[in-house]
Amino acid sequence: MTLPFWMPFSMTAVTLLWIVLPFLAGFMSFLLPQWARYLTLGGALASVGYAAYLFLENPLLQLRLLDHFGVSLVLDPLTGFFILTNALVTLAVLCYCWQSDKTTFFYAQVLILHGSVNAAFVCTDLISLYVALEVISIATFLLIAYPRSDRALWVGLRYLFVSNVAMLFYLVGAVLVYKAHHSFDFSGLHGSPPEAIALIFLGLLVKGGIFVSGLWLPLTHSESESPVSALMSGVVVKAGVLPLVRFALLLEEIDPIVRIFGVGTAVLGVSYAIFEKDAKRMLAFSTVSQLGFMLAAPAVAGFYALTHGLVKSALFLIVGNLPSRNFKQLQQKPIEPRLWVMLAIASFSISGFPLLAGFGAKVLTMKNLLPWQVIGMNIAAVGTAVSFAKFIFLPHKPPELVEKTTLNRGFWIAMVILLGGLLVANGVYYDAYDLDNVVKPLATIALGWLLYGALFRHLTVKSPRMLEQFEHLMGMMSLSLILLFWMVLA
Amino acid sequence: MLEAFVFATILLGFFGIIFKKNLVMKIIAMDIMSTGVIAYYVVIAAREGLFTPIFGDVQMGAYADPVPQAVILTAIVIGLSIQALMLVGVMKLARDNPTLETNEIERGNTP
Repeated sequence: MTLPFWMPFSMTAVTLLWIVLPFLAGFMSFLLPQWARYLTLGGALASVGYAAYLFLENPLLQLRLLDHFGVSLVLDPLTGFFILTNALVTLAVLCYCWQSDKTTFFYAQVLILHGSVNAAFVCTDLISLYVALEVISIATFLLIAYPRSDRALWVGLRYLFVSNVAMLFYLVGAVLVYKAHHSFDFSGLHGSPPEAIALIFLGLLVKGGIFVSGLWLPLTHSESESPVSALMSGVVVKAGVLPLVRFALLLEEIDPIVRIFGVGTAVLGVSYAIFEKDAKRMLAFSTVSQLGFMLAAPAVAGFYALTHGLVKSALFLIVGNLPSRNFKQLQQKPIEPRLWVMLAIASFSISGFPLLAGFGAKVLTMKNLLPWQVIGMNIAAVGTAVSFAKFIFLPHKPPELVEKTTLNRGFWIAMVILLGGLLVANGVYYDAYDLDNVVKPLATIALGWLLYGALFRHLTVKSPRMLEQFEHLMGMMSLSLILLFWMVLA
Repeated sequence: MLEAFVFATILLGFFGIIFKKNLVMKIIAMDIMSTGVIAYYVVIAAREGLFTPIFGDVQMGAYADPVPQAVILTAIVIGLSIQALMLVGVMKLARDNPTLETNEIERGNTP
């Protein structure tokens, strides 16, 4: 491979440097505390650059380090989408926090989280993935527990506990794959015993927050600080989703299982989200359902992940600045128009309204569905429109009539990155703009709003939270394991 | 036979996580579960032989597979650090919840 003139090192070297950079920068920031924010900025920008390179050059790079048993990495445009999501969300969160009084520790953890999520995205062997996912758990725990309050600690501990137990199951699965093939490669899943696949899937489903094993997610994402929620919903859960997508693309026999979970989690997520009265919890449940959209059509998951990552982190950052989290109170208390505009843009995108990237992503996903998935996914799409109508129809009044919330410059820069990203990404799939494609999402949204206005606005159903209790989360893991085992065997 | 014991350990640990009320006990149960997992890696490594694979002049016979052992070493370190982190969290929680019963803590800390 001849290298372009602007590239003094080989691609392998650049890739490895890019993976190591956030970790080095993270530890450096403890030595040079006053530079912490700039180091984080550098780490995120490096990822933007690297993702841009992946898109422009379109390489299919497969690296295998250290022999047959070693680490293997794959870099392709699919990975590029996920890396770009990670980079933009980290960048936006950094801008949002720039003027706050967060300590070096916070920025260092953000950097380490960024690095480990990148690592989880690029690796294609089970053990590197395990290590990356565990580092993600630790960094996320430290970010959740950053406020040091009792509640933050408990939510963090619960998260760490659930994900660590899931990863123990995953490890057993990994060694069973090794036993069958003498290698930890993803491709080894082919021809492995069903229990190996079931165990590995359980680990990834829990980490990715998918279906019933992902019910730890709502509490964790809604009780953290807004920037941390934005990071978790925007990118961290995707570290569990991308491997599942890769499995589905790699192995034909796994594809239907992933698609079934996609539909299941999409419907489960929205059915909670529709009835939710708390803004942040609604967003968290919507994350659960959007992950379903990614899994339902593995071939186009990358673009969907990008649009969802941008929109969901924007929403979490905005909701963090609303006067209240409760929809009832919000409806009585008009909000500022500038906040409302931001909320509306994001809600339109996630509902799939044309001119925003969410539209292209949804059209692409719907085109790649199998016939049996269509009904479920359409229900989920209408449900998404219903749940986000809650934001769109919030009352707002001219600024002189409402009490002002102070929004610093960082907030606006973050919005420019995230919502601007949505507008730019809209150009990726411009083939979507023909009459058929435009009419259908509009009809979906109209139906959703009608349902909202006529029915769901007046309903007060308290969705049960029993399944979110710690012990039930654990119990659900064993049930999922049995379910998965039978699905693989079937 | 060994495999059966290993799986029994893993399962016992898992049930401990579910049935024990106390948070510290839950963490110990998780440790037991991870001990089981580690033991399973060792059992798999020793399938074809027991001798430590050290390069040298003397041939010892059937060697153990070094790859799972190397891999599980990483996992042990990660497990250790996660447990240390959790215990620190539990120490902080214990100040306001001296009994450390999970359902009590949960009741106090979920909205």
